[in-house]
Amino acid sequence: MNENVYVPFLSKIQKVIRHTSIEYTFRMEYHGNVKPGQFFEVSMPKYGEAPISVSGIGEGYVDLTIRRVGKVTHEIFEKYEGNSLFLRGPYGNGFEVSDYAGGELVIVAGGTGVSPVRGVISHFGNHPEEHDGMTLIAGFKSDDDILFSMDFETWKKQMNVILTVDKGEPSPDRQVGLVTSFIPQLELKDVASAKAIVVGPPAMMRFSTAALLERGFREENIWISQERKMCCGLGKCGHCRINDKYVCLDGPVFPYTVGKNLLD
Amino acid sequence: MDINTKKLKKNAFRVTKVRNKTASRIRVPGGHLEAKYLPVLQHIAEAYGDGTLHITNRQGFEIPGIDFEKMVEVNALLESIITGMDINREEENGGYPAAGTRNISACVGNRVCPYACYDTTAFAQRIEKAVFPNDLHFKIALTGCSNDCAKVRMHDFGIIGMTEPQFEPDRCVTCGACVKACTKKSTGALTMVNFRPQRDAQKCIGCGECVLACPNMAWTRSKEKYYRLTLLGRSGKKNPRLGENFVKWIDADSIVQIILNTYEYVEKYIDPEAPGGKEHIGYIVDRTGFEEFYKWAMKGVHLSEKAEITSPMYWSGIRYK
Amino acid sequence: MGYCFTEDGMMSVWSELEKRYDIYAPKRFAGKGRFSDTDCVRYGQVHSATEIVFDKKAEYSAKEFLLPNAETLFYFTEDQILESACKEKEMLVFLRSCDLHAIKRLDAVYLEQGFIDSYYKRLRDKVKFVLMGCPKAFDTCFCVDMGTNKSTDYDMSIDKVNDKYYMDCKIEEWTELFAQSAERVQDVQPAYVTETKTHVNLPVQMPNTMLQSDLWREYDGRCIACGRCNFVCPTCTCFTMQDMYYTENGKAGERRRVWASCMVDGYADVAGGGTYRKKHGERMRYKVLHKVWDFQKKHGYPMCVGCGRCDDICPEYISFSHCVNGLKKACKEVMENE
Repeated sequence: MNENVYVPFLSKIQKVIRHTSIEYTFRMEYHGNVKPGQFFEVSMPKYGEAPISVSGIGEGYVDLTIRRVGKVTHEIFEKYEGNSLFLRGPYGNGFEVSDYAGGELVIVAGGTGVSPVRGVISHFGNHPEEHDGMTLIAGFKSDDDILFSMDFETWKKQMNVILTVDKGEPSPDRQVGLVTSFIPQLELKDVASAKAIVVGPPAMMRFSTAALLERGFREENIWISQERKMCCGLGKCGHCRINDKYVCLDGPVFPYTVGKNLLD
Repeated sequence: MDINTKKLKKNAFRVTKVRNKTASRIRVPGGHLEAKYLPVLQHIAEAYGDGTLHITNRQGFEIPGIDFEKMVEVNALLESIITGMDINREEENGGYPAAGTRNISACVGNRVCPYACYDTTAFAQRIEKAVFPNDLHFKIALTGCSNDCAKVRMHDFGIIGMTEPQFEPDRCVTCGACVKACTKKSTGALTMVNFRPQRDAQKCIGCGECVLACPNMAWTRSKEKYYRLTLLGRSGKKNPRLGENFVKWIDADSIVQIILNTYEYVEKYIDPEAPGGKEHIGYIVDRTGFEEFYKWAMKGVHLSEKAEITSPMYWSGIRYK
Repeated sequence: MGYCFTEDGMMSVWSELEKRYDIYAPKRFAGKGRFSDTDCVRYGQVHSATEIVFDKKAEYSAKEFLLPNAETLFYFTEDQILESACKEKEMLVFLRSCDLHAIKRLDAVYLEQGFIDSYYKRLRDKVKFVLMGCPKAFDTCFCVDMGTNKSTDYDMSIDKVNDKYYMDCKIEEWTELFAQSAERVQDVQPAYVTETKTHVNLPVQMPNTMLQSDLWREYDGRCIACGRCNFVCPTCTCFTMQDMYYTENGKAGERRRVWASCMVDGYADVAGGGTYRKKHGERMRYKVLHKVWDFQKKHGYPMCVGCGRCDDICPEYISFSHCVNGLKKACKEVMENE
């Protein structure tokens, strides 16, 4: 291991999975400990770096689901299976699955926000004994933006899945409407002990947590994943700091009791 | 009353519209003076004039309403101002020895203004010392930076302060403030290349906006002071026009030399029939051709390699005649 | 042990020290001020004690030796990375007590919080500090209120009184040299400030609703977001990483980190075009609260060391200390409005 944490390592692209025209998953060679919700800095010398959440973890690889929004991610999309990418990481605290085990669990995810929780969803999907009922509310802008459609087929068999798009024609495969609109009628055995994870764009997280609290969830049973400009990933460069927290170091996953104060 | 109007004009008095009354004109080279001279002006205005005082376009004062017969007394009172401002004069208590070469005017310059690239007052005083007294009709003005608040292009010689921005890459924090300032406030000589500004020397007018904008002193001013010398602007009746660029990145010594050389050129070529012995230099150059002027003006002038000369020069303006 | 030197004695010590260290201190850069015919006092390499400016505050701090303005992290080709080399020679940095306290803040961020920053560490290991005695505060200083007016955590100290230099030296290997060159050996206490003209009243609570305080609105219009306050600050540590390539084929280049300012546009941009804290008043809040509240929450002491440089440099005459002094009242107001 290089002691210089700024120097990235080369990792081979094992597979490229195309979800939408601007969202691909890159399966990258990686041997080491990593948790869902953590992220890697994908480094494109000459273009810079982009923080990308781990969307899947397997033997000898990690999945990085990348949305093409800037110059770095644009360059990453020029790469193919067999090419290599420079990576640094994993960074951030990630989701500790044990935090959510034992009771009812609701996961609310919006857009690429599904990536960081994908590992959590799959974990509990594959381990029904670790929870007492599970609901996934996943929202995308439109049908064209839906990620991980294969996963949803599996998840639908494992848990209560509400897949929804903000705009679209009615369809039996999914709902139409914002994720928040499905929170009030959530059927729960004991909302006071139920746990929730919210990941997505800032506005979506704000409204979703408000709806969860309204539904009766306790603040201490909600976790959120903050999104900020992350540059070094090491708690040095300052860009992701909110109050006394560095999202890249202390987060991106925060208990709502902490996260609610990280306003900007 | 018998008054030699030619003599009084040379003595910086004026024939006014009021019979038997004159006005005294006080030069203030560089337009900056110690406040202690104001009581003297006040006294002259109140004791000899009509109690008023005009601030002239050329940054001097004009005290109207003075009886012709009081000129000697007024001259005596002006002595402290003339010597105090270190104006060249020939005869003690004789007032100003000439009026043809006008007061050298200047913007407030770097004694006050953050934009100014040099001490305009000091340079104006230096030029005054070199050219005055002289009866030839020369108008010289100085301005601290390319903003040209002093409107020097309306003068025979316009001197615009410049600095050659020096870039220290290691101090650059790549914030882009210089590029933004140059683009929005100046000529767009800076562009971002590899996160850092790159300067197009051709486009750069040495205004110093980048230096002022830089938050980390990556841009600083050159040790050398540079100027742009503009030539032969004029107002007036026949062909008013703005002065055109003559030398960019010129040094102070060369400017003084060119001005002094021009006096010799004008003495040689001025229309001997010119009414009142007064002819704008520009009309003389129009007559002799620019080449002849250039030959005279550049005698003994050694410009640095950086200096960029415009030659031949062309002027436009409004042509009434 | 302390020593008193004449100028000559100082010179002979200096020439020995220079063999070992590059020596940096506040010095005068003639004609290098922002405005024409003005000088700038800032840090630079000095070759004699006489070059050191004792009676003026350096406009910029000493942090540049540990955290260069622009630092190359590594060089790259398409598939290879070569770590940049570190400066070879050791450094001796002259600085006042406030700035020495600032180094502690840099250490906190770069060595103590999370990962160890190897680029910072390799420079940090090469630096020795000479505390410059500071007998009298400048107008904008408020070190006493920040508890940074005094420091014993130095390697050497220096005070200049008339033509004599008084030095303390805690580095054993130099004691012989110092003793040989000194006019006499005596106890030396570096001077320190005990009273400042400017005072600050630090907040004792920080309601979350301070976000909404009217205190910040004023800066929306006044602040021009130039970042000078950050760049002169001895405790600002932010940077941005940049990849630059050597032109032509564009295949080789370097990654560097460059000082960043939370006041300047672009700092809080996120991929996809969004940006946090668009208003300048919001940036002011982010900066000010970090300096006097957020950092303290994490590390137990305020980030700001009270050097007053941000007040000195602001072209819009925005005073940080004035803003800090408005915090208590603003906190009370937002709490009452809740």
